[in-house]
Amino acid sequence: MGLLERKQKTFYRKTKKGNIIKIVREHYIRDDIWCGLDGCGSCEMEDAILEVQNTSDSTLVPQPHHLMIDTNVALHQIDVLCDDSITDVIIPQTVIQEVKHRSLPIYKRLRDLIESSTKRFYVFSNEHHSECYVEQEAKETLNDRNDRAIRIACWWYSQHFKPAKQSVVLITNDFANCMKARTLELKAFTMKEYVASLKSSPGLLDLVANLDKDENEELIQRACIYPPHLGTADINQGVKRGKLHHGVLKTSRNNFLEANVLAEGFTKSILIQGRQNLNRALHDDLVAIELLPEEEWSTPSTVVIDKEKQEEEKEGDSEDEGDDENTLTEEQKLLASGRGKGERQPTARVVGIMKRKWRQYCGIIKKNEITESIRHLFIPADKKIPFIRIETRQPDLLYDKRIIVAIDSWPRDSKNPKGHFVRVIGNIGDKDAENEVILLEHDCPHTKFSESVLNCLPKLPWIITEKDEAEREDLRHLDVCSVDPVGCTDIDDALHCRKLPNGNYEVGVHIADVSHFIRPLTALDKEAQNRSTTVYLTNRRIDMVPDLLSSNLCSLRGNVDRFAFSVIWEITPKAEVQSSRFCKAIIKSRGELTYQQAQARIDDSTMQDDLTNSLRNLNKLAKTLKTKRIDAGALVLASMEVKFHMDPDTDTVVDIVAKQHLETMSMVEEFMLLANVTAAETTLQHFPDCALLRRHPAPPQSNFEPLLAAANSQNITLDVTSNKTLAESLNVATRDNNPFFNSMLRIMTTRCMMQALYFCSGTLEPPEYNHYGLATPTYTHFTSPIRRYADIIVHRLLAVIIEADRTYPELLDSKKLADLSQHINYRHKMAQYAGRGSAEITAIASLRGKVTEFDSYVLFLHKNAIQVLVPTIGQQVTLFLDKRTQKRDDKKKAKKKSPEAMEVDEEITPTFEFNDKELYVKCDDLVLRPFDHLRIQVSVDASDVQHQRVVCQLVHPVIPGFSVPSVSQDTQEPKLKKIKT
Amino acid sequence: MVDINLSDAEKCYIIDGVKLGIRVDGRDRLDYRHLEIETGLVSTANGSARVRLDRTDVLITVKMEMDRPSPDQPNQGRLRFFVNCSANAAPEFEGRGGEDLATTLSAMMDRLYSSPYTLDRSCLCVVPGKHVKVLYVDIEILDCAGNLFDAVSIGVKAALWATHLPRIYVTGEDGGELEFEVSDNPHDTERINVSNAPILITHLRITENLTIVDPTPEEEECGPVQVVVGVTPSGLITALQQLGQGTFTTQTLSAAIKLTRELGMKIHTHLTAKLRQEESMENREIRGFL
Repeated sequence: MGLLERKQKTFYRKTKKGNIIKIVREHYIRDDIWCGLDGCGSCEMEDAILEVQNTSDSTLVPQPHHLMIDTNVALHQIDVLCDDSITDVIIPQTVIQEVKHRSLPIYKRLRDLIESSTKRFYVFSNEHHSECYVEQEAKETLNDRNDRAIRIACWWYSQHFKPAKQSVVLITNDFANCMKARTLELKAFTMKEYVASLKSSPGLLDLVANLDKDENEELIQRACIYPPHLGTADINQGVKRGKLHHGVLKTSRNNFLEANVLAEGFTKSILIQGRQNLNRALHDDLVAIELLPEEEWSTPSTVVIDKEKQEEEKEGDSEDEGDDENTLTEEQKLLASGRGKGERQPTARVVGIMKRKWRQYCGIIKKNEITESIRHLFIPADKKIPFIRIETRQPDLLYDKRIIVAIDSWPRDSKNPKGHFVRVIGNIGDKDAENEVILLEHDCPHTKFSESVLNCLPKLPWIITEKDEAEREDLRHLDVCSVDPVGCTDIDDALHCRKLPNGNYEVGVHIADVSHFIRPLTALDKEAQNRSTTVYLTNRRIDMVPDLLSSNLCSLRGNVDRFAFSVIWEITPKAEVQSSRFCKAIIKSRGELTYQQAQARIDDSTMQDDLTNSLRNLNKLAKTLKTKRIDAGALVLASMEVKFHMDPDTDTVVDIVAKQHLETMSMVEEFMLLANVTAAETTLQHFPDCALLRRHPAPPQSNFEPLLAAANSQNITLDVTSNKTLAESLNVATRDNNPFFNSMLRIMTTRCMMQALYFCSGTLEPPEYNHYGLATPTYTHFTSPIRRYADIIVHRLLAVIIEADRTYPELLDSKKLADLSQHINYRHKMAQYAGRGSAEITAIASLRGKVTEFDSYVLFLHKNAIQVLVPTIGQQVTLFLDKRTQKRDDKKKAKKKSPEAMEVDEEITPTFEFNDKELYVKCDDLVLRPFDHLRIQVSVDASDVQHQRVVCQLVHPVIPGFSVPSVSQDTQEPKLKKIKT
Repeated sequence: MVDINLSDAEKCYIIDGVKLGIRVDGRDRLDYRHLEIETGLVSTANGSARVRLDRTDVLITVKMEMDRPSPDQPNQGRLRFFVNCSANAAPEFEGRGGEDLATTLSAMMDRLYSSPYTLDRSCLCVVPGKHVKVLYVDIEILDCAGNLFDAVSIGVKAALWATHLPRIYVTGEDGGELEFEVSDNPHDTERINVSNAPILITHLRITENLTIVDPTPEEEECGPVQVVVGVTPSGLITALQQLGQGTFTTQTLSAAIKLTRELGMKIHTHLTAKLRQEESMENREIRGFL
């Protein structure tokens, strides 16, 4: 008794690198594997699971019997097996192994069934049983061998059970298998036949899955989920012949299955939809595409496809490659359902990838309930990146961590790209880890400044030498002051204003002279250039230049001597600039004022000191300047930035305040604009080919389409022919019943705008220099050299112009300058996204652990979702119109009480009708349009540490079966009462 | 190779014996010792064979890998020979002592199989210019009692005969890279055609015009010079190499080559018959080293 024989199992496997290895496993055959029947007599097991049957419920098999299932039954009829009336089932080990191999979720369910004592499911280790072990024969496929193993096991049971007067019925859906089993004189039926014959549970038949499809289909499907890519030679040939096009793929933010490619020779971007058409291309890859025939052209989808949701609803089916077919068709359907009726766009499919833009991705590991599994799914923080499959043997250590993963490959037969774990960033929810994720994801350099960089800094104590005094204008006698937000330490601008004897004003804007400290081509300069901008996160600032400069030597602090680069104008009381000049100066600020303090001084008529009076004059001039600017067509746009007040110790949000607007802010703003414009004009005049300017292209009319459609739905017509007409129509567009309406409109207008960009004047024609938003023909950045590298370049150019400094070759090379402006543009964009990402995380953190109600306004409508704007927290949230949360609950319930789950779901589910022409979502009588006010309830679902999702539910207007009742009045907005809007 | 000290009298006895046509162990000049072959004894390799010739004991394994073809032979697979002289075989092999012999042996095997008439390497090609199979033939010298070259060459042929390569199905192409699959059936394999694979026959020069084959270590002591001749089953001579210092007269050399052809064809026939016989045995028990 015991071990009988050693066998060797041999198989060939392809390795990751494409090699083929032979694997030999030891396999031992035993003669002490028991049948599991209680009272079998000949077997010596301790806990028998199967019970002796005395009756039979089936009309097909009148004898008392046990069931044995094959793999396909387990895979496809798991719902039937879950039913309470199905008990005493023998599952051969062959089946268990195959199920595990083919579908982990089903394997999980099957294991649960085996665990439950009432079901009496017995796993028979036939593979090790001396009488049931079969070896694969020469002409036999693995499937055939497994089927044979199952039949042999069944045959063994039928012989073994004879003395106990029991019989065994093989349930298989495979016709051939059925026939072969019958030649062995076994009882074999399909699940349908068997269930139909059961007398006591007629309802069970409904649970039987109808599978007419040949399973071979699945195998083919499995081999190639994606069409192959073309080789480089083919791509180049195709592009040459004009059959293919290439461009950079940009994945949609709302929908990871949709992307756009801007290809040469196309005015509109080319749409790419669906997993197969995207064909393994990721965001930012340089791809080769082939246009689809015109009748297959499509429109951008109006559904919001949430990757998380998709994966969740499938309950980790993504683990299961065999199920991909369903997934794909489901996705296809979802995409198709959202296809709008608008104008069709050129649509293409990816046929090859010319250059991968793979980088390392931050994210988390999806929890895998099968603990021994080493294959895990990685969820990238970037929504545009699909899940990545990684292998790790230490999942427990990684579950609550933010980690970095690199992609290795994306073979055709794998739904998701394959990658490997790189390193841990930190715990989920940890402030530093979250910040680092944001910085890494947005490619923001954030390491400490290196030794060589710090060596470039001046040595302390820093003193002004006589040489400095000789080279600079001494403006220390002027009443200069700075006006900045509270808590600002990098003060880069200060102002002064004094009345001239001729009645005009002398106004000076003094900018920190950073270029004095950052000499060209030093390590410090290179580092600053690489960073290009300071990044502001809600609880951290990543400086472009070391702290010593940004918060001390360059910062124009009060009552200390500082170097400044000044621009001084003579301005008439009507705010006409008579003359302007730039100079390097030494100033001594009379005070670091905050906006509030400055405002208070201006408003307080008892204060009559020089500083206050000059502020009043500045304010007066600024108002006139602003009027002029707006007359010229400058736009007043809105964003929904809010300020978070954080408790520095606990790092929690104490308060969220909408950014206040004070007159002094626009006062500073006006003079900064004026300084920038003056700097732009001066540099362009002296360096027509290598001035670093900033342009803001007029958006193409098509950009305004969503805005116009939304405005139309409220019967408002906007004239978007020029910035001036737009500004005017925005001014008159108001709604009495909705005070936020105008701001909303402006926020939406902001989203139609193009990005403002730095460029080198030599590379474009003068009409393109135009700044659309500010309505100026030329513009640049001059006023914030501490936090923007572009300003440093402008400073250097100006210093050359006023003969205060030397030039160097790179400064005047328009090609290098153009490259530099590209780089700065990229960093700026990323820094902006990082800032927004940080605000979003902070906002979500502030919502954690409670249910909060907010006023919100409809921003965009989609077929299955509404995106609403919540001004209080400055965030946009998505209200899904399908019953996603409830569905999940139902599912859970159904799982627990699976047998009784037969009752019909009696819930009223409202149907939403979406009209994308007139832009409304209708539910019975209720019509929701853009700008409409909604009261929503927001909470953070933190049940799973990894998946903290913002859950949004409608409170008002009431839609039966969809909206939720309001939380009681007193608990409403518990912490955010002090909202100042 | 193996240090054996023979007295002059003993040498004389051996040499005189050969002159009279009878060797110390009773063999004729062209007789081989008893040779044992077993194939397929290393289950993790694609093919393997062990050859024992008296105390000489070699183990040969063949493993397959995928690789790119060399640019000058885009549709030819490769055979690569590696020899390891175990210190168990002879104390001299310890450390790097066996390296010279190993290099000579592997170079000889390379030469032996370099002729296109010996083995059709185009059957090792999966996709011309992209993927070919490379067979790594590892030769392990476990014990050494004379006539190593012959034993190794017979072992290599037997191992190649017993080699099963998984059948490779090219499923498609992706971005210029080929994709292939292996069958899930371990029996779905290909064999290598070894019907022309050569073997080596070593002639030891005993006297001016007399050579013997399959010398024992003692006999090797008596004649410092040997000639190794490669021969295919059809009698084609594919390689020739002299080992040791000394001279062969042209007559002796051509006689040796002529003998090799006759003897080689006989051994080939015999070897193939035995390998066939072994293969046809049902449920053959692997004896291996047990």
